[in-house]
Amino acid sequence: MPFLWLKSNSRLRPYIHRLQPKPGQEDDVALLKAIAGRNEPALAQLYDRYRFILFGLLIRILNNREEAEDVLQEVFLQVWRKAENFDESRGRPFTWLVTLARSRGIDRLRTLASRERVAEAGAREVSEVISDAATDAFKSEQRGLVTKALAQLPDEQKRTLVLAYFDGLTQSEIATRLGAPLGTVKTRMRTGLMNLRELLAGKGESFGF
Amino acid sequence: MVHEDYKEMIPARALSALDAAEERALNEHLDNCSECRKELEEWQATAAALAVVPAPVEPSPAVRERILSEVRKDLSTAEVIPFSSRTRNVWRSFGSLGAIAAVVLFAALIISLIVLWQQNRTMKEDLAQSKEFVELVTTPGAKVSELKGIDLGAGATATLAYDKTGHAMLMADKLPNVPQGKAYQLWFIVKDKAPMPGKTFVPDNIGKGTLKDQMPAEAFGSAIFAITVEPAAGVDAPTGPIYLRSSDVN
Repeated sequence: MPFLWLKSNSRLRPYIHRLQPKPGQEDDVALLKAIAGRNEPALAQLYDRYRFILFGLLIRILNNREEAEDVLQEVFLQVWRKAENFDESRGRPFTWLVTLARSRGIDRLRTLASRERVAEAGAREVSEVISDAATDAFKSEQRGLVTKALAQLPDEQKRTLVLAYFDGLTQSEIATRLGAPLGTVKTRMRTGLMNLRELLAGKGESFGF
Repeated sequence: MVHEDYKEMIPARALSALDAAEERALNEHLDNCSECRKELEEWQATAAALAVVPAPVEPSPAVRERILSEVRKDLSTAEVIPFSSRTRNVWRSFGSLGAIAAVVLFAALIISLIVLWQQNRTMKEDLAQSKEFVELVTTPGAKVSELKGIDLGAGATATLAYDKTGHAMLMADKLPNVPQGKAYQLWFIVKDKAPMPGKTFVPDNIGKGTLKDQMPAEAFGSAIFAITVEPAAGVDAPTGPIYLRSSDVN
């Protein structure tokens, strides 16, 4: 009897009502596995899915379109070579990709020693900002959610996070830049990121990060 | 420094904002502390959320071309299998011992060529299946489900993908060998219904197995998947133990 069989495999029953895969997450994991198996179309698919968001991030960090394109190329070639290192038990594909891209972007920024750029002037002039509807992986809802959470942070915490994440400054450099004690900057950074996590808690799962 | 000191540094490490000496010290600690490594992963996930704040920007199409061109170069280098078919003129030094040595060498060369040919054929088949699988996965509306080995199948893994038409493909790895006359069989399980049988397959000698099947309409979007060991011809209702089942997806 089939039901007896199911009953005897009782560990299966809790799964029966939770059947729909999370498309984005599982697709990304499958793509990374295929890339690790040296599948070119899978890399093309991953690039098409994430090029907007990663290029937007790199433009924000480097404020230079050519440099950002060069780093974007490096990032995806690294994905090609290192996809087998991705371990889904240690984090999401999105986190892995973003951490890789940002790390490469910050390395390039530090090499170029171009931190004295004018933050306000650049990105909008050199880039073609696209509509959110065109970004498959990241809808405007996600940007809205994180932007709103960031806006809720006290100004000094927000500024510390932005200087570290997008401008690649270390805590000591931020302290010098703001004329604040190093201990204060460390506290602001830690508290700011904790607050951001709390504001995003329970929402990140549905938005893929 | 003690564990708690390092722990306090982790959010800044997730933002790459530590000074070089602090980062070196923390990295050494991370090598030996799984708790802190786990915590770093969590903070990195929070920090990564900030990546969606800048406006998305379209890179030049040339970037895609450059990336794929590099990848193709890499693939073409990797696909060249060096056959060392040296044609030494051993017959010229014909003597009884030389002839025996030549026959042995010739036999060894033939055997190695056959082995290389078989390896090459297997690689090509694997590549073709892998490509087909990715095409299926990347079809709009395609679904993917991971299966994990349990009990007798512990350590085995499989991925099942299917598109809107029900065309399904399973790729399994690290499967235990099946006894003579037996095979693995796929099952589609829907609540309050009898398990629906899929096709059977036998893995190769390193435990890899592939299966193409048509998913029953009732199983669309509401099935879990299981793999049992059954008679090679397949059965209508499962009789053997479950070796793999779909993972918890929620």
